Parts: sequence; structure tokens; C-alpha cells
Amino acid sequence: MPSTRANGTTPERAVMGGAVALIGLVALALAMLPIRTHLTVAAPALVFVIPVILGVVVGGFAPGAVGALAGFLLYDLLFLPPYGRLTVQSPQDWIALAVYVAVVLVVARVVTNLQSARQEADRRQQDSTRLFELSQALIGDSTRAQLLDHIAETVQAVFTPRWTALVLPVDGPSGESEGPALAVVASAGAALSDEDRASLIDGGGQTRSLGMMDGSAPSRVAVALVASNRPVGLLVLHDVQFARQDRSLLGTFANQAALAVERAQLLDQALRSRLLEEIDRWRGAMMGAVSHDLRTPLASVKAAVSALRQDGAITSPADRAELLELIELQSDRLARLVTNLLDMTRIESGALSLQPADIAFDELAGEALDAVSGLVPPDRITVASPPDLPLLAIDHVLISQVLVNLLENAARLSPDTSPIRIAAQPVDDPAVPLVEISVADDGPGIGAHDRERVFEMFSQNSGGGRAGLGLAIAKAFVEAHGGTIWIDPGPTTGARVVFTVPRAARRP
Amino acid sequence: VTRVLVVDDDPSLVKALRIGLTARGDDVVIAHTGADAINQVALTNPDLVILDLGLPDLDGLEVCRRIREFSRVPVVILSAYGDERRKVEALDGGADDFITKPFGMAELEARLRVAVRHAAARDGDGGAASGSTVVGNLEIDHVHHMATLGGVQLHLTGREFDLLSYLALHAGKVCTHHMILKDVWGPGYGEESNYVRVYAHRLRRKLGDDEGVTLKTVPGIGYQLVVDPQ
Repeated sequence: MPSTRANGTTPERAVMGGAVALIGLVALALAMLPIRTHLTVAAPALVFVIPVILGVVVGGFAPGAVGALAGFLLYDLLFLPPYGRLTVQSPQDWIALAVYVAVVLVVARVVTNLQSARQEADRRQQDSTRLFELSQALIGDSTRAQLLDHIAETVQAVFTPRWTALVLPVDGPSGESEGPALAVVASAGAALSDEDRASLIDGGGQTRSLGMMDGSAPSRVAVALVASNRPVGLLVLHDVQFARQDRSLLGTFANQAALAVERAQLLDQALRSRLLEEIDRWRGAMMGAVSHDLRTPLASVKAAVSALRQDGAITSPADRAELLELIELQSDRLARLVTNLLDMTRIESGALSLQPADIAFDELAGEALDAVSGLVPPDRITVASPPDLPLLAIDHVLISQVLVNLLENAARLSPDTSPIRIAAQPVDDPAVPLVEISVADDGPGIGAHDRERVFEMFSQNSGGGRAGLGLAIAKAFVEAHGGTIWIDPGPTTGARVVFTVPRAARRP
Repeated sequence: VTRVLVVDDDPSLVKALRIGLTARGDDVVIAHTGADAINQVALTNPDLVILDLGLPDLDGLEVCRRIREFSRVPVVILSAYGDERRKVEALDGGADDFITKPFGMAELEARLRVAVRHAAARDGDGGAASGSTVVGNLEIDHVHHMATLGGVQLHLTGREFDLLSYLALHAGKVCTHHMILKDVWGPGYGEESNYVRVYAHRLRRKLGDDEGVTLKTVPGIGYQLVVDPQ
């Protein structure tokens, strides 16, 4: 590629062209020598035009000039009487010689011009191909980093400096206060040394003087990238040989690059604002779920208390007792929910550490059953586990809460008297130190497309009823133990929620 | 005895309402799902439905619409705070009133009384078909485009009369701005709630604040014409 950027022909080609012309001349002269007395004055001149033109085609105008001189000498010495001497007898011969030289020189000039015009056209063709490729690449949906690398690499390939660097403002690590600092975001060619970097950017991120084509060696060219009347960056070419036409090409490149960089920056901004929007939406949904779950028990408490306070409304002692019990249970539920929410946020922010201890599964299940005894009649729940089940190494407060949440959901979503089954067993692979615990009910179950979603903070199952925060909290607690929780896709009726927790090292 | 159908999926709220309403002397019927609620309306023919918007199987709005297909039973919506949009949709879809959780029994009972009383009045005189509508001491003569309050004729413009007679026909029901605009102003209207505000203000001035009927503003939602309890 580099050779094609040079103007005209190279010295090697000129020498080759000279050789072609001279060898051709000598060969033809030798061939015609035996019959020179039979030839007209003009014939050798015509023949001698051929090798010289060949030389011009190969090596440009210089071989043509040499060939013209050599042809002149050969013609004069060997084919114009008196042979072997430069003197010429007749004026007719003078004319032949002069015409020969004139023709050769004119033809050489014309051919050379044609050739350099073709080379120029080729070069322009290449430039526009390069530009096209660059703009194609810049339009493509590549990442910002890819884009910047591509700009640097293309410039490097076209202009062949020692290195190319792209300097852009980036957000400083110290935040917005000091404004954006400059940084080398992409480079191509030879690796930049620390001095090179320092010469582009000093410690504070301000550009140094860049030696704009000031003739000092090594020559360095810097082009500002300007889009929408706003500088977006700087393209620096170090140690570059520049032809005049290259300047405008580099300018065009810089414009393309500036637009692409600006576009990438706008895209970045758009992405960031979309992310913020997403976070806002998520936060709103989470607040909705939290407030729904907190308000539900609150609504019962308020309704019950206000009924009790109405003068003479509730006269039956049984009704009074029932309302009071309801108030107590719902207050407990509210308190539990608040604790859970706090625990969950503290686990997620890393403020709460687990307190794992060895506990038997039956003990854990008993704790959960006690907690839900007011909401779910104990005879609805069955507990099954193999006798040799290992102890669990868990924070029993959190994991019993997981069970409570699953039981609450099961009770809420299944028919009033249908059984709820709790079961535990070691996972199939004995190498994995986990125990699998499941809660199954005979409710409507959970559709395939909802099986992931129900664990999200703000999920709502497809029917429109809120699954609430229970599963989201359960997921956070199980995952804090290094376990996983999922909906068993197996059963065709009811829902079966399964989670794993670590087992203790020692046997019960 | 009023038969009340309570539709909510939270068992403890249902229990509190059952005890509270039963003690008041109502006959309480329970449904935990939307489908069950629709069945119970058809089977038990309740005088009133208390309907939660968030049900496990059907959307409360959908339940309300389906009940309206075959019954004029008054429906009072239980909605969560911040559920404004759905609340308005439910009212547009045929619900009569709403109450926001958490609520006290006294407030709920007041709402239920209004809904039941007006529903009974509405069913009794058959509305505009009979030529006149009576709401408390307000009488609307649809044939002669005349309204009297306690026997005294009210001087109303055409639009004022249309608005008052519409509200009287739906007395006790919370009428949203949207409903009023569409039915009184015409199908091309729907968003111009400031029109309704202006006319409601004029009507209220003409109705005065004596005993009788009151035009209540339901903030952000619409208007409700109620008979003042004696």
C-alpha cells in the first residue's frame, strides 16, 4: 500500500525502463546492421521509436529521454553515412534525425502524462473506497470502543504515520466538578510510549502544544474533530509523510470521524437516560408492591378496629374475640413484613450477615407452622422428610420465613380445605451438600411464562392478583444462603415451589 | 335486611367485614374470586356488592362489567391508594361508588346506605320512562323540561337542566367527568372536565345549601348527587 501513495514512478522502475529502451535499441540496431545499405533513411528511425516508447511505458519520461539520446547516437553513427562518425552528409538526414528525436520526446511526454493521470485516478479511487469503508463502519451499530478503534486503524492504514492516536474528553474519575479530562481513547500503529502519551496529555488532562506541521522532526499532524460547531476530539498522526492531496483527505476523514464520535456520544446519553427510566419504573413498581403488601393487613386491622369502636355495633362476645384475634394476627403479619423488608434490603446492601447454625428440618418446619398457625389451620399442612435427612446449616430465622411466605401463598391461592405439603430430601447428587425443600398446594398453579417472573419484586400473576412480595423476599433469603429457588414445572395441578439450602457437615 | 356480597381475596379483611356487617344486621355473602362473585350475584341476588379491584383470577374492572351485563345491583369498589386510574375506569364501567383502603366501618356503612337507598329509588320509579324523577325534594319533569326543589321551580338553562337530570337519574352514583361529558355534552366530548366544573358550580348555587339534595364533588373523579339523610 505505501508505494502507491508516492507520486510518479519509483527509481527502480525508471532504471528498468531505461534498460528496456537501451537493450531494445541495441538489439534492433544489431539486427538491422547487416542490411543497412538496403534501408531507406527513415526506416531505422521508425524502428528505433519502438523500444524507446516501451521504456517510457515501463519507467516514465526519464528512460524516454535517455532512450531518445541513445537512439539518436545509434541512428547517426550506424545508419547515417558516413558510418561511425557523428557528421551527417545530407540535409535530408538532418531532418530524419530531428524528426526522430522530436517524435520520441513528444510521445514520451504524452505517455507519461497519461500514466500519471491514471495513477492519480487510481489513488482517488482508493481514497473514496477508504472513505466509503470508513463511513460504512461508522454507520454500523458497533460499540463506541469499536468505533474509535476503527477510526484510528483506518487513518493508520491510509496515511501510514508511525502511530495514530484519538484524543477525546472523558468524564474524569473525580466526577463532574473538574469537568471532562482528555484521554487517548484509541490508537493504532506503533505502541505509544509514555512520553508519547505525556506529549498528548499532561497530568491534568490538558493538551500540550502539538507541533502543528511546524517542520520540526518528527512531523506530527493534529486535526480537530468538530461536529455541530463543537469540538468533540482530536486526531493525532505522528511522524507522517504528507502529500498535498492528503490534507484534504485527512480533513474529510476527520469530519466523518467527528460525526461518528458525536453520534456515539449521543447514543451513550440516550442509553443512560433509558437506564435511568428503567430504574425509575422498577422503583415505582417496587413501591407499589411494598405498599400493597403493607396496606392489605392494615386494611383488615382498620376495618376490625373501627367495627369494634362503633357504639353497640358488635355485641356478641364471640364476634369481639374474633375481631381482636384478627387484629393481633394482622398486626403480627404487618410486623413480620416490615422485618422481612428490612432484612432483605440489608442483605442486598450487605449490611446483614447470616447467622448460620445447625438445625434439624423438623424443628425448622415446626417454627414455620407456629408462625402461620393463625392463618392456616395446622391440619391442612403435612410435613414429610426421610429419617436420615442431614441437619441444615442455615440462619433459621430467615429460612423459616421463607417457609412461612410459601405457606401463606399456598394457603391464599388454594381452596380452603385442600392440603398443603411440605417435604425435604437431600439433592440427588451426593457430592452437592444441599437439601431440597418444597411446598406444594392444590391451587390453580403457575403458568410456564410466569415461573421466572413471580420471583420479581413487583410481579403480578397473569390473573391480575398480586403474588406480593413473599416470593421476592424468599428468593433473596435463599440466595443469601447460596441456594436457589424455583417453581417445579412438573405437576399438572397446583403449584410446587422448591428451594435448596446447605446441609450441615455432621449427621444428626 | 340488606344482602351484601363481599368480594375480596384477603381472608382477614373479608372476615372483619363479615363480622362488622352482620352485626349491623346485614346478610353477608362472600366471594374470593371474580368468577365466584359473578355467580353469587346471579344466584343470591344481593342488594349490594363490595368489590375489590385486585382479584386473583379476573380483573375487578372486568367483574364489574360482567355484573352490569345482567344486573343493576349497586357496586362499591374497594381500591388501593394510588389506584386512581382504575377507580375511574371502574366507575365508567358501571360501578356506583368507591372507597379507598384502609377504611373505617362507619365510612363504609355510610357509602353502602347511599348506594342502596338510591338504587331502591331508581328501581322504584323507573327513571325517565315515567316522565319524572324524584330525588329527595328535587323533582325533575323530563317531559316539560322543568325542575322543582321543594315545590319551587328552578330557573335552569338547557345545559344546566340536562346536567341536573342526568345526575338525578344516576343519583347516588359517582359520575365521572368523562361519563358526564359524553352523555350530557355529546359523544364528541370527553376530556373537557372544566366545562363540567363550571356547570356544576352554577347548579350548586341554584340548588342552594338547604336541606334536600347535595351535589357532591368527588375530587379528581367527578360528581355525585345525594339526598341528605334526614
